[in-house]
Amino acid sequence: MGWMLKRWGLGLAMAALGSLTPFGALALESADCLGCHSETEVVTAKLTIDPNAFDHTAHGELGCSACHASVTAQHPDDGLTPSKPVCRDCHQPIAEEYAKTGHAVNAGCSDCHNPHAVHSARQVSGHDMNRQCAACHQPDEMATAHSDWLPQAELHLEMLPCITCHTGSENYVIALYLSRPKTDYDPTTHKGVFELVSFEELKELSGDQAIATLIDADGNGFVSLTELKQFNGSPSHTLRLKGMMTPEIVTHNLQILNNRWDCTFCHASGPGTMQTSFIALPRADGTYDRLPVEKGAILDALNGTPDFYMMGATRNASMNLLGLAIIAGGLVMPVGHGFLRFLTRKNRQ
Amino acid sequence: MTTHSTPDTQKILLQPVPVRIWHWLNAFGIITLGISGAQIRFPEFISLFGSYKSAILLHNTAGILVAVSFALWFFYYTIITQKMSRLYIPSGDDLRHGLIRQAIFYFYNYFQGKPNPHHPSPDNKFNPLQKSAYLAIMFVLVPLVSLSGILLMNVGPLRQLVLLVGGLKILVGVHFLLACSLFAFLFTHVYLATLGSTPLAYFKPMWTGWEEVEGHEDEHGHHALKP
Repeated sequence: MGWMLKRWGLGLAMAALGSLTPFGALALESADCLGCHSETEVVTAKLTIDPNAFDHTAHGELGCSACHASVTAQHPDDGLTPSKPVCRDCHQPIAEEYAKTGHAVNAGCSDCHNPHAVHSARQVSGHDMNRQCAACHQPDEMATAHSDWLPQAELHLEMLPCITCHTGSENYVIALYLSRPKTDYDPTTHKGVFELVSFEELKELSGDQAIATLIDADGNGFVSLTELKQFNGSPSHTLRLKGMMTPEIVTHNLQILNNRWDCTFCHASGPGTMQTSFIALPRADGTYDRLPVEKGAILDALNGTPDFYMMGATRNASMNLLGLAIIAGGLVMPVGHGFLRFLTRKNRQ
Repeated sequence: MTTHSTPDTQKILLQPVPVRIWHWLNAFGIITLGISGAQIRFPEFISLFGSYKSAILLHNTAGILVAVSFALWFFYYTIITQKMSRLYIPSGDDLRHGLIRQAIFYFYNYFQGKPNPHHPSPDNKFNPLQKSAYLAIMFVLVPLVSLSGILLMNVGPLRQLVLLVGGLKILVGVHFLLACSLFAFLFTHVYLATLGSTPLAYFKPMWTGWEEVEGHEDEHGHHALKP
């Protein structure tokens, strides 16, 4: 009964307001819409919107009517079915790019992006990105399919956003997430080594301070290697920094980048691009802020991140030269002694 | 000591079967590790074993092989023959005089055509320099490179140990430099093995087990350098 009263009440209020306007129509405020569309008892689950999530999106700032322009003040009593919003009206370049992909046949924009909770790629974690893909691409099936060519496929898929390889971004950056070891870690699959720590948990740790101060001690919005080392060695918490390669830019062509078939793209040529990293700090609304980190966070052996390593990351000129010098040292005896041996061969005949 | 004698020559069993199995497993494994390791580090230049994945698989397999052969060696000398300390730990005399004597031989007397002062026998196979070198190789270098490799093969389950040694980057760096050191030794090892009476004289007993020495020489069967 409650929902009926609410619905009628809102309808009557709308009708009263509408009668005062010259054209009998009024642009609805988002709050008016959400009065019904945030209640599962009032509207169907499909039409229900999380007002908190919506409020923090760019779409939320524009308001419901920006996309749902055909909805009248008499809605829903006018009996009209509102026209569907057309994403292309605002996102034309993306829509055109996406329309050329095989994905476009099977999924529309809203199949991957809930327009009432969508954020830019910079604001979401790699796990969140993958959750969108997993709606159609079952993780187990994907692991099996990738294992045909990809060693430790499950671990790779766990540690990478799908779009690191399936987008148009040629390069990548390293996002470091505040994580902690999982208690139910399964060593046979390596699945779920870490789990991300929520804003609320970090807030408890940081107390009155902003959570960024847990790692950015001087609060200058930039994490130095010294601050990184202090954070990694601090006994006051069990937090770890889990690194994820994320694409530098995100495109919607969802192609398979051919150079990603080659392990060396990440594992040997990676170090050059692995110099750019940032801490992904969770926000109260579930999105993330980016906190830039000093160059070297991923590659510096002593001051960098002890919990994130990619094969090939220690391949640098100094190490190679040192290794070469050691091996060359081993040749001193054969070459030097052998030379004198040759010169004095007559003494042993 | 097992010996086979003829009027002119004497044969001694210098390298028993388990030692030879260990040695050649080790040799095969370490060379495989070196080449596959080079491919893993420089995959854009080396593709001897095909894909990157197969190089890693081979490297891991060869690593296990070397670790197992090391265990075989350790078990044989420590438990079965109980000769480990006698063969590999330099004695007081070795340290006081033997090292210098052997070094003088290698770097001076050898060129003069003088004989090797060390006479190998099954109970005293290595000269003082060899003992010192093998002590460092077999008790420090090989265990460390193997342990670092085992940690790298199990970064998930052994994470606490990995963190204890300073994290993965330190571990990988240490593994790489230790492996380079092992290869540096390998060149010297193979070269020194050619310093017998003939270049292949020292290789033969490591394959057949039997060292052939001239009967008229001393009871230790010294054969190293014919006058």
